[in-house]
Amino acid sequence: MPRYVLPALAVLARLVTGVVWIWAGASKLSDPYAAVLAVRAYQLLPAGIADTVGHLLPSLEIVVGAALVLGVLTRGAAVVSALLFLAFIIGISSAWARGLQIDCGCFGGGGFDPNAASKYPWEIARDAALLLMSVFVVFVRDTGPGLDRLLFRRTAPILNEELS
Amino acid sequence: MSKKSSAQDRADRAAAALAEQRRKERRRTFLSVTGVVLVMVLILGGGFLAAKLKGGGPSDTAADPGSGTAMTIGQASAPHSVVIYEDFLCPYCGELEKRTKDGLTTAAADGKVQVTYRPFRLLSPDYSQQALEVWVATQHTAGNDVAKKLHDLLYANQPSEQGPFRKQSELVTLAVQAGADQAKVQQAIDSGDATTWADASTKAAQDAGVASTPTVLLDGKELSGRTVDDMATKLLQAVS
Repeated sequence: MPRYVLPALAVLARLVTGVVWIWAGASKLSDPYAAVLAVRAYQLLPAGIADTVGHLLPSLEIVVGAALVLGVLTRGAAVVSALLFLAFIIGISSAWARGLQIDCGCFGGGGFDPNAASKYPWEIARDAALLLMSVFVVFVRDTGPGLDRLLFRRTAPILNEELS
Repeated sequence: MSKKSSAQDRADRAAAALAEQRRKERRRTFLSVTGVVLVMVLILGGGFLAAKLKGGGPSDTAADPGSGTAMTIGQASAPHSVVIYEDFLCPYCGELEKRTKDGLTTAAADGKVQVTYRPFRLLSPDYSQQALEVWVATQHTAGNDVAKKLHDLLYANQPSEQGPFRKQSELVTLAVQAGADQAKVQQAIDSGDATTWADASTKAAQDAGVASTPTVLLDGKELSGRTVDDMATKLLQAVS
């Protein structure tokens, strides 16, 4: 396998997950109350915490997405991204298992949706794929070009014993 | 003191210079990472505050956001009007309810008073909110009389503020016991309508300046009393 394949895949994974995050966050930004209701609709968190999560989530999604696209603190952003996708998969599965019929609220919206049950499998599959991409970025050796290269630029020479 | 030691000297100086350079590099990396994290936290905090300021409450499209969901007994033409703001968890509300329920019901039936109950959430984001949601869902789907029965049942079965608390599904069972349709109540809860109605009630109470429960308005004036007993006695005297 040529040396550039893994970094190229990492960049692709970063762009896909990052753009999805930015899109998801931006579509919730205009209606904070809808975001709160979407979180409450899962009936998983106490209302006080659900409100905080609903208010915080859109900006968190945008920050994580931007970090992945720009390649700032890439690995850390990928860890947060993976944890969020894991939480969403658990949330949707739990809603499905409890027989709730709710819109996942992933890209705005949320609350009751009579056709929800038929959408759950696809939503879980989508989030699982994005989770895998995030995990790949966490563990790949070279996450590809990004602002991290400026941030962690080396000025001192690397000694031989450090390379071993 | 020869070649050897001066070579040693040079090596030491080079090592020291390298160490210094690395120290600077670590410091620069630390500062830039801190800076980036700080910017991220600022964006998060800003977004959170903006969201909180912009929309903690029901959106403008919520039905009847001005007044919330209420339940009345008695005729509007009655000489006295009483408004009771209450929280389903608040122990004093339970106490007031116990002491005034029969008296107010009789007075209302005799045409002496119209009582408007305005439950809202003051206390717990969990039990108070859940009980309120079940109650508003019942009021909207089954009407005033069933809502009054559920209201009385909720107070008759009021938990201590320390718990243990009934689950929302068990509260729905109470609503069914009062005469509500389980499917309709559950549908209102699952759809988020109940939350919207409940939050509208809470907002209406806050807008009305109600900061504690129970708050009783007798003919438009807030009824004061040293104790709940005192309030109950004054209230019943005034309307009977």
